[in-house]
Amino acid sequence: MSTDSGGGAHGGDESHSASPAPAGPTGIAALLGARGRRPRGGIYAGVRWGGALVFVSVVVALVVSLVWQAAPAFRHSGFSFIFNGTWNPDTEQFGAGVFIIDTLITTGIGLLIVIPVGIATAAALSEFLPRRLAAPLSTCVDLLAAVPSIVVGLWGLLVLVPIFQRDVEPFLQKIPVVKHLFGGGDLGSGILLASVVLAVMMLPTMVALTRTALQGVSVADREAALALGGTHWQVVRRAVIPGARGGIQAAVTLAMGRALGEAIAVALVIGGGVTLPHSLLANGTTLGSAVISFFSEAIGVQRSAVIGLVVVLLVFTALANIGGQLLIRGRSSKGHEAALPDDLITDTEAVPA
Amino acid sequence: MTARPGTATQDPSGLLSPEAMARRRDVVRHASRTTLRRRRLVGNGTRIACYVALIIALIPLVALISYTIERGVHGLSVAFFTQVPVPQGVPGGGIYNAIIGTLIIVGLAAAVAIPVGLAVALFLVDRRGKVAATIRFVADVMSGVPSIAIGVFAYALIVVPSGHYSGITGSFALAVLMLPIIIRADEVAMRTVPEDLWDAALALGARPSRVARSVVLRTALPGIVTGNLLAVARAVGETAPLLFTALGSTVLETNPFQPMDAMPLRILQDGTQADPHLQTVAWATALVLVAFILVLSIGARTFAAYATRHAR
Amino acid sequence: MLDSPAGAASGAGREEIGVSLEHVTVRYGKVENAKQVAVRDVSLVLPKNQVTALLGPSGCGKTTILRSINRLHDHTTGRVTGVIRIGDLDVYAKDTQPEIVRTRVGMVFQRPNLFPTLSIFDNVVAGLRMNGVKKREFLREAAEAALRQAALWNSVKDRLGLPAVRLSGGQQQRLCIARALAVEPEVLLLDEPCSALDPMASAQIEELIVQLSAHVTIALVTHNLFQATRISNRTAVFLLNDDHVGTLVEVGSTVDVFSSPQDPRTEAYVTGHFG
Repeated sequence: MSTDSGGGAHGGDESHSASPAPAGPTGIAALLGARGRRPRGGIYAGVRWGGALVFVSVVVALVVSLVWQAAPAFRHSGFSFIFNGTWNPDTEQFGAGVFIIDTLITTGIGLLIVIPVGIATAAALSEFLPRRLAAPLSTCVDLLAAVPSIVVGLWGLLVLVPIFQRDVEPFLQKIPVVKHLFGGGDLGSGILLASVVLAVMMLPTMVALTRTALQGVSVADREAALALGGTHWQVVRRAVIPGARGGIQAAVTLAMGRALGEAIAVALVIGGGVTLPHSLLANGTTLGSAVISFFSEAIGVQRSAVIGLVVVLLVFTALANIGGQLLIRGRSSKGHEAALPDDLITDTEAVPA
Repeated sequence: MTARPGTATQDPSGLLSPEAMARRRDVVRHASRTTLRRRRLVGNGTRIACYVALIIALIPLVALISYTIERGVHGLSVAFFTQVPVPQGVPGGGIYNAIIGTLIIVGLAAAVAIPVGLAVALFLVDRRGKVAATIRFVADVMSGVPSIAIGVFAYALIVVPSGHYSGITGSFALAVLMLPIIIRADEVAMRTVPEDLWDAALALGARPSRVARSVVLRTALPGIVTGNLLAVARAVGETAPLLFTALGSTVLETNPFQPMDAMPLRILQDGTQADPHLQTVAWATALVLVAFILVLSIGARTFAAYATRHAR
Repeated sequence: MLDSPAGAASGAGREEIGVSLEHVTVRYGKVENAKQVAVRDVSLVLPKNQVTALLGPSGCGKTTILRSINRLHDHTTGRVTGVIRIGDLDVYAKDTQPEIVRTRVGMVFQRPNLFPTLSIFDNVVAGLRMNGVKKREFLREAAEAALRQAALWNSVKDRLGLPAVRLSGGQQQRLCIARALAVEPEVLLLDEPCSALDPMASAQIEELIVQLSAHVTIALVTHNLFQATRISNRTAVFLLNDDHVGTLVEVGSTVDVFSSPQDPRTEAYVTGHFG
């Protein structure tokens, strides 16, 4: 804990100028007191504290104002707002149920695509490719994150929808067994396409974080497997990927958080529809795309309901992000295991001769 | 004193007899030899599968850029950059108002977010303890808040009480979006300054603000500049925060207290029309937007690499 | 008189040769002409089923030589020249597979590097599984044998499913030894295995090493002279020469090297003038 002393550096320095100070910054710093004690000038401190206060108040204001604006909707529908599956402005029935389900489905399928592709790509970049190739290719994958979601959405709407409509969906409807998932729907847009778009948006996050996690596995851990006679892939599979497990979990969680909050790109390709989807090719609406679609025409209670959807969305993404942040932090503070059983610790087993 | 191996053998299990060990040794050697080829093949196969995954991962970027270029290039013209939108069916027109709008809105947002972010980062770098840790944690979580929530927040906070949409509300929303990114980037950049440098400068009698300015900022400047550029690149492309605040418009508007247009809004507006001409305008706008963002991002990274190499 | 391979064979009696190194040099670096030599022209014999200590101050090449025996330099920018033989196997021959070499040579590192996500049992048999041994009965038997040899069996036999990271430091290192032994290597390389352990755990490991040398040829890298005198049969002394390249200065039976060293540099080292 830092306790800033008042008075500033001048006072401390003058009182010590008579005694011989040991050479070197650390000696002088020791004279000034414990680490972390920085004398405070007025303006400087004001700026720092001011900035921090502004930031904190913005965060607080965000939560408060949203909840405030959404309150009428909750008062109107009660807590069942979350579970109710009906969204009908005419009968003034508002429920987030369908949107939550569509959000979970699209994010879930997106994750199904992006997790294996992301881990494999990260493995290629971190373990298999030579350094000279891995660095620029890594940057290329990362650049995908710089493309704004409106452009991805535009591309999805004008390029992927026709492709899906013409080629992909008829193809999927021919595959035996699985085809029942893909009934109806021949519009191109729909839940499946939204999932694919989400996968594209999650990919850079997944690859970058997984790559960092894989590279973070120490040489000693790799050599443990190598020295036992493993091939390169065996080392990766048994030492590197398990060693990166925490980082990979964090990557998945943060990618998921990104997908949950994606609104614009999804709104452009998901088609819109307020009933439970009967197939993966059906149109649907996620929490994010609902806000985009309904906001402009919504008045009164409906507008509150839309803001209520934002609150629900915030809760989801906050959970995912907090989970991800905790995972990232938790990895570095490993080692606090549960107490060992006593006899396991105090072993004085004789060496067999 | 050199040791000799013990002679008496306590081995209740019989597993450590020379015969048992030799037998196990043979089994292991045999298995190792005979499976090596298969193990290597599996390894090569997996390696190839990972390369395929890499190619799959690169396809979206390549496809996005090539389609945007192919379809957007037609729409580029002098008129495109200098004129405002015209009614449907009338030839000509451009996105001049959207370009100006983006510059004004993002400019105002950066003018607020960059200094405030720097101040918070200075706060975090300096203090330890629960307060700083909490703020840092909050900043990290905030960077994951969906931009649509930020847009609706700005709507709830400002548009509702004031009664109308405005570009400056959009700036507010974008500033909220940029803050966590800038805070984290600035803090990381400043943390690379060694502690001794701080203490030495302070001990020599410098006022803390002067220390901050001269010592820390100079060392951390590359990282700060890079982080800020990337935050601006992110803000330029955001649509959702502006949808509920700046609203968009079809006329040139330089007064930030009125609704304004911006490039992402224009893309959304034009791209969703059935008119192919308007769709081309949308693609062209997307091309300009992506080009601008890529220049900012690549520029930021190159600057970072250049600066770290020339830092000493 | 430096021991040569021929000299070792005759000078050490009728002992068999476990590992032989002939004119081994290890270089680092990519540029052809500017390769940095880490250790030069080492010729050494590790007698079978004995403990040979590779002794010397830090950075003199003893770990580099150790790691050249099981081809760990393959994955770095290091290049090894010279001949290393284990029994009849030429380690660096063109048609020799490194994985096969590493099945015959086990290694234990400075810090325990157990697989953190695996249980005690899975850790011990990890090497067996990687080499294609699958039968449950065999794995159980090999695990018990290895754990008995590492003096861990009685402590863990009822808790084989526990995560391995929950053992104490000394136990983890012994588990690493068991893991290496499970593959039934003929040579065991130990790279300062006690450096991360407290004195009591170190003493247990030293006792273990002595017992193990009945079945396995052991090479022990250490900078602790007393440890070398306590547990090794032969000692090889590595020092830096004038151009900062590691060299093998002297090798012989531990008693001889410490009581009547042949080389003045060895004498300076063992009598504590430096290092």
